[in-house]
Amino acid sequence: MPPLSSPASSGPKTSYHEFYADDFSPRDHYRLLWDHIRATGNNALETKDHESQLALQTEGVTFTVYGESEEEIERIWPFDLIPRIITAPEWSRIESGLKQRVKALNLFLEDLYGEQKIIKDGVIPPELIYQGKDFRREIVGIVPPRGIYTHISGIDIIRDEQGDFLILEDNLRTPSGVSYMIENRVIERRILPEFFNKYRVRRVEHYPSLLLDALRCLSPRGKGTAEIVLLTPGIYNSAYFEHTFLAKEMGIELAEGRDMVTINDIVYLKTTKGLKRVDVIYRRIDDDYLDPLIFRSDSSLGIAGVINAWRAGNVAIVNAPGSGIADDKAVYPFVPDIIRYYLGQQPILKNVPTYQMTNATDREYVFDNMERMVVKAVSESGGYGMLMGPSSTPALRKEFMDRVLENPRNYIAQPVVYLSRHICYMDGELEARHLDLRPFVIYGEDIQVVPGGLTRVALRKGSLVVNSSQGGGSKDTWVLAE
Amino acid sequence: MLSRIADSMYWMARYLERAGETARLMEINLLYLVEAEEDMGEEEKWRPVLEITAALPQYVELYGDDAITTQRVLQFVCGGRTNNNSIRTCLRLFRENARVARDRISKEMWEAVNDIWMTYNERLRGSITLEKASNLFVELRNQVARFNGLLAATMMRGEAYAFCQLGGCVERTDMIARILDVKYHIILPDIHLVGSALDYYQWAALLKSLSGFEAFRRTNQSGFEPKAVVDFAVFEHDFPRSLVFSVDRAGAALANIGLEGKEKTAAAFAALQSLLASSNGETVFTNGLHEFLEQVLSLLAGFHNALAEEFFQ
Repeated sequence: MPPLSSPASSGPKTSYHEFYADDFSPRDHYRLLWDHIRATGNNALETKDHESQLALQTEGVTFTVYGESEEEIERIWPFDLIPRIITAPEWSRIESGLKQRVKALNLFLEDLYGEQKIIKDGVIPPELIYQGKDFRREIVGIVPPRGIYTHISGIDIIRDEQGDFLILEDNLRTPSGVSYMIENRVIERRILPEFFNKYRVRRVEHYPSLLLDALRCLSPRGKGTAEIVLLTPGIYNSAYFEHTFLAKEMGIELAEGRDMVTINDIVYLKTTKGLKRVDVIYRRIDDDYLDPLIFRSDSSLGIAGVINAWRAGNVAIVNAPGSGIADDKAVYPFVPDIIRYYLGQQPILKNVPTYQMTNATDREYVFDNMERMVVKAVSESGGYGMLMGPSSTPALRKEFMDRVLENPRNYIAQPVVYLSRHICYMDGELEARHLDLRPFVIYGEDIQVVPGGLTRVALRKGSLVVNSSQGGGSKDTWVLAE
Repeated sequence: MLSRIADSMYWMARYLERAGETARLMEINLLYLVEAEEDMGEEEKWRPVLEITAALPQYVELYGDDAITTQRVLQFVCGGRTNNNSIRTCLRLFRENARVARDRISKEMWEAVNDIWMTYNERLRGSITLEKASNLFVELRNQVARFNGLLAATMMRGEAYAFCQLGGCVERTDMIARILDVKYHIILPDIHLVGSALDYYQWAALLKSLSGFEAFRRTNQSGFEPKAVVDFAVFEHDFPRSLVFSVDRAGAALANIGLEGKEKTAAAFAALQSLLASSNGETVFTNGLHEFLEQVLSLLAGFHNALAEEFFQ
């Protein structure tokens, strides 16, 4: 990869404001909302804010943060009242860009675990794949039904300083957040029904039924007899709320690895009435923990023998094992090439400029400009293993440089993008906070993008980190109908 | 249904019942503290509560053997960190099991679970004064009743529901047997005193611990004859907090679950039923109440073990 043509410019830039067109007036599509907020007044907003917090608390909409005390690590999902609005033309671009990207990434995965034409054709360097810890040699040669690997993708999108939508990250393993997208909508409707009278907002609550359909199609015994389970690591997992939410919404069994057993390449559930065959596993655990016979042998979260059952075609696994290599952050800079290679099209949505730490020129440039960079470990997610240049200390920057030199393949760097801002209701005041967007893509009979997504907000003033594990919050996201 | 989920439903109900029963026991004991004779020490009044809730060993470990005071017991039973059966621990495990089985319980139930936990988590761990205590226990019992009402009104009938019922019944049977055993022995330290005039307040407290005072009065107006009290608390089919009533109800739940191919569970439950069927107030008094209750508790434990082996693993 050549050094980037446009290196990070000097000095902080002004981020795009989603809500305001200028100092005095909101953008057109926010005008009705703005008038309404002003007419309602702060007191009413305060009451609404309080109501929404109470509702989230009573409904137990929580997430878990790792690494604190044993007992109380559950936190209430932080929610901001003011919705984020995406216009129909904006959405149409996002939607087609995501479909294109997911299509290409699935062709890429099928190729990687098959003929590897893309490597032979010199588009992707072989070491990039073979050194990736999420490339699973154990499953080369297995073709999942219809060549679909990522039935569910949660792709992070940001807006740069000009307001252009950019892809920040492809989450293709076990992307989470969709339950919060729905809960946010449910709460918003309940607390602020009057907001909805003013706009034609597209619905998102049917996501679980779209997903259920896609899962049923995968049953080796046919759509009619599909026993589907959601495989969870258990109540201490950060996304346990979401696991229960989805299992309930789809009416499928919420199971842990220990609830299942594999006999003669068939997976069974252990029930009070004996064993019951399983057709589709929607797993919410990583490949590493999926099957102790194939991957990490010390894992007790998975199901021994499940990979062989999958290989034999007796059970479907969603997303397919091995999908992680396609969202490896070191593969990310190549996704535009991947789209061109498989589809012969130009990418609709651009990437954020990215520096490869294996490339000496890139690396030197990044080291010289650490304060303006985000350095990320390639196979981490959730904001873990990341350096935010602008808010880092010299010691931390030094530590990251050492880590990069030790294992360059394991890191990438990107110039800090000043994520777009939006007004948020913070303790009685409307203040600007940075945010991103994670829409969800389902690949079943065809590729569908639910019109909306999870808008994540960096609640700390000035912060660019939106992950809920790092003090992030969320907003309801409205995609407007034509 | 999943074996693990069945286990969680069963324990969810057991822990809530245990929390509720403990709160009732504390509430009655506080009253009794006021009503009982003045020469009775704190030690005598509270030791039975620690025995019934199986918290005595941990209490002694924390405070030493001869240091039973009202304030400490209040604190320890409500939220003592080393007390595995504290009300707070029961509520925490109640919520944890509900969370595991989140996809099996109704939204209304789940909201009540969170409400209970949010209301009592901190309160039970904070300082609990004598003045605040009674209200706390009354409120908590109301919350438990509310949850059970939501369970009856909103939960799908089926296996999951049956396991909830079963858990509640097993816990209640266990508690009733313990209350009778411990309390009765305090009231009657010497078996030769049977039939002598006994302190009204002590019997009243025992019956109130079972929520059976008024019901007993209505059926037995002649006074607190020990045999009559035991007959009522153990064998009265119409009294919803008698031993036989709880065991009957557990039987109904088991019938809904289905015992096909579950020989050990079926046999263990039959043993418990037949002990109750073949006994009455008369035989219990001849052979010894304590011996009888010990037998009940051991058969109940046997039943629980068979259930765990055949359904939960």
